[in-house]
Amino acid sequence: MATTMDFLINYVDATVTHAITPADYIELDLINDYLIWTAGDAVVKDLMTHEPTADELNAAASIIDDVLDVEVALCLLMDYSHDVGGAYYTHKVIGMNENKRYVYCFSFDDATATIPRLEAWDTSAHATANKHVLGAGTPANSFVKAIMTTNALPRVGWVGTAIAGASNYVELDIAALVAAKDLYANLKIKIPAAYVTPAAETYVLTVRYTYA
Amino acid sequence: MEPIFTIILSDGSVFSGGTSYSETKWKEIPDKKIRTIFYKIPKGDVLVMTGYDKYFHMIEVLKDLNGDRAGIVNFEFAYLLGRKEDKINGYKMNFKTGNIEKIETNVEDNFIKGLNPNIWK
Repeated sequence: MATTMDFLINYVDATVTHAITPADYIELDLINDYLIWTAGDAVVKDLMTHEPTADELNAAASIIDDVLDVEVALCLLMDYSHDVGGAYYTHKVIGMNENKRYVYCFSFDDATATIPRLEAWDTSAHATANKHVLGAGTPANSFVKAIMTTNALPRVGWVGTAIAGASNYVELDIAALVAAKDLYANLKIKIPAAYVTPAAETYVLTVRYTYA
Repeated sequence: MEPIFTIILSDGSVFSGGTSYSETKWKEIPDKKIRTIFYKIPKGDVLVMTGYDKYFHMIEVLKDLNGDRAGIVNFEFAYLLGRKEDKINGYKMNFKTGNIEKIETNVEDNFIKGLNPNIWK
């Protein structure tokens, strides 16, 4: 069979691997689950007991600062099946934007022909990266920063690569996979100071990989 | 369903690949020198490659982590390469457009050096 990839997030302890402590990870049901990037508030938070509404998400949105860049404080997994650790719909992604290595996990069940890479696009057409969050046509200005952590910690104050489109991406390892392997990355969203266009935008995170 | 490739091996035996791009059976090719590959390109025609020392095949896919096609494997490209000494020739086939890009390079190309060496047959 073709090599397949599952996407998981760590919701307990970002110092342990999926291989050693699988219970610390939740595999996303990619049809129904999704990530929420938010400043968070008393409603939109870890361990919500309902799916947040659009109004609730708007109320908890990150606020653009006139002077300082803003790093979105919280990434939540919205778990549609709400069947992990109780009847909770949201789980905080542990270690996001920190000096943590095992945060977002890309689990491959077999070898790949090249190094898998993480990309970001406007839509599932994978044709453009022009949204504000992706740098409004300038990939290097993308708010979405990613860093490969498969082989090392990202370091304190990590900057990462601005990912957008075909030219700006992050490779998730240093070589093609010769067998099944879990790869890791950390992500963050950094909104430039005084950015002139407030927006609630969705973009598509994509993993590009190959197999024989 | 037709196999996506048919291979004539050095001893004259024939190996048929899988019938879909998600189950190519490339890894199941017997450990014998390949004489000729007949490869069904995504739009239906057939490419023939012969006379190389080694051959390489891969499928490139995208899997969205969110959005309206989240979780679906999107086929992007199929690659078929042949290596003779330090020369590499081959084809990059686009599943969406049907375009076929010819590849002519050598073993020192970073793209070639980055390929999983276990896949060469």
